[in-house]
Amino acid sequence: MKLLSRTIINYFWLTIGVLLVTGFLLYGFLYLQIYEEIKEQLQLQESMVTKEISQGRKVNFPLVKTEIVPTEHLMINPVFKDTLIYDDIQKKDEGYYILRQPRLINGQVYMIEVMTTHIGWDGYSKAIIFIFVLIAIMIVVVGSIINYFSNRKLLWPFLQNLERLKLYSVSSNEKLELVGSNISEFKEFNLAINELTERAKGEYQALKEFTENASHEIQTPLSIVRTRLESISQYPLDEDMARYISDAKAAIGRLSKVNKGLLLLAKIENQVFPDEGALDLKKTILQQVEQLEDIIKHRNIDLKLELTAHEVKASPLLMEVLISNLLSNMLDYATPGATSTIKLDNNGFTFSNPGYPLDFEESKLFTRFGKKKVGYTGNGLGLPIVKQVCKRYRWDITYRFDRGYHVFKIVFLPAVDQ
Amino acid sequence: MKLLFIEDEPVLLEEMVNYFSSNGCICEQAKNYDQAMIKINSHRYDGIVVDITLPDGSGMDLIPQIRSTQSDTGIMIVSAKNSLGDKIQGLNTGADDYLTKPFYLEELNARINALYRRKSLKGNEIITFDNFSIDTGSKELYYNDLPINLTKKEFLLLIYFVINKNRVVGKASIAEHIWGDNYGDADNFDAIYVHLMNLRKKLIQVSGKDYIKTVWGMGYKFVS
Repeated sequence: MKLLSRTIINYFWLTIGVLLVTGFLLYGFLYLQIYEEIKEQLQLQESMVTKEISQGRKVNFPLVKTEIVPTEHLMINPVFKDTLIYDDIQKKDEGYYILRQPRLINGQVYMIEVMTTHIGWDGYSKAIIFIFVLIAIMIVVVGSIINYFSNRKLLWPFLQNLERLKLYSVSSNEKLELVGSNISEFKEFNLAINELTERAKGEYQALKEFTENASHEIQTPLSIVRTRLESISQYPLDEDMARYISDAKAAIGRLSKVNKGLLLLAKIENQVFPDEGALDLKKTILQQVEQLEDIIKHRNIDLKLELTAHEVKASPLLMEVLISNLLSNMLDYATPGATSTIKLDNNGFTFSNPGYPLDFEESKLFTRFGKKKVGYTGNGLGLPIVKQVCKRYRWDITYRFDRGYHVFKIVFLPAVDQ
Repeated sequence: MKLLFIEDEPVLLEEMVNYFSSNGCICEQAKNYDQAMIKINSHRYDGIVVDITLPDGSGMDLIPQIRSTQSDTGIMIVSAKNSLGDKIQGLNTGADDYLTKPFYLEELNARINALYRRKSLKGNEIITFDNFSIDTGSKELYYNDLPINLTKKEFLLLIYFVINKNRVVGKASIAEHIWGDNYGDADNFDAIYVHLMNLRKKLIQVSGKDYIKTVWGMGYKFVS
């Protein structure tokens, strides 16, 4: 649930609660007040009637009853209560208050009964409820609207910063720009986030440098092992020795490829590529395909090209890397004999080849060393490199498996800051 | 061919000097910047192999120095840093080629020879073995002046073998030479095999001699 809706709902219940309590209090208070007032009025009326009788006048008021009762009735306590009396005009029973009191007047005991209507008490309570409901609705609606807008204004920097944080990556060279606020909690929050990202960025940078340095340091020992193995190969060897050396050489080859791949990955993120410029991607694709002609033929892959010339501003080296990795991937997984296609137009390009569905999670496709397939001989870095190159140029790369075809689709996005 | 190797790693230096000496080159070595400076200023070389990271300086700074006195010398950078920036800087200051470690000695040899033909021999060198002659300029092969038709790949293979003759050349080394870094995988060697066998047949056909020997489990060896 959104913070904004949450606060509004809380506010709504609070308002309802407060109004209910105050409504009942008001009702009760008024009820008591009026009850007392009526009782006083009836007592006054009764005393006036008593006075009239004591002065020997005949009492003949509407809603007043006098009756001479036996003396012992004087012991009865006065009664103040509700009653219903039929109203001829309105044709219905109406509520009345009644006060019945015995009085000793001039040696005789009179039972004096005075009445008055509820004075539209029903109407009062209805009016009170109506007004309170109106107040409740107004407070809730108007209050919620005001609350919504003021909260939105208040939360705007927070929500804005949240969006920026979502889009931010510690691997980017840009600094995280947060919207300022004069709310101290938000200020603190911004400070904490800035500190956190700077720290993460520093650590990320250190990690990248470490990878790069480690890869460099590995190159020389690798060279030594490789040249020494090549030198041993020059001697006459028996079958076993030849096998051992050949295995060792293959392992060195793999190690060197992984190392080069890691180095390249670190560089794509880290470095300026000084050869960046305008180039025709169609030419790059054609060159790479031509270079691979033998392998394509050897693996019996029917490669169809649908290419429109399209100029991009990029590093030729990185474009070669991008295309060659996608192409290698295609060659490794395409079904022999079936048609694989490379398409290029002004919006982007796709590599699609028929093949078996992935036997691992799709999310691992672009992660380093994500594939752990039996007999897999690649260095596990081809597609991560592809992804990284696309990221560098803000191109969108997606993978889908569609009716037996592996499809890699790259969409050129309008470059923002190039 | 007279070569200078500037490299601080003794094993690599030894390997390079051994291999190029066995190919009939005169090899000199420098283990650091100062030694290299002395050699450069006192001798002329046909080719110089420079490692960028030296204990007492950067090989990069040596390049303009070499270039100012020896314009025909082929300068080859070998570096553990596969850095495009370094490569561009090196080539801009006068280097001719750039090779990243770990590399194959055969590849280094092929490249230095190519540089030598282009720079010292002005691209006109004819490589000969037995009755064969390879015109590296027009990319043609002759047997007793009779042209032999070779495909592009067969020609590339032939040069690689002839330059590295009498050496066992591994499959990975061949694959990397033909396809470069991106596809130079031993797994892709099968696709070269066809070309290699065709070349072998063509050479046998005209000369009756099998030049390309299979070395079991290791690779191939060009014997002349």
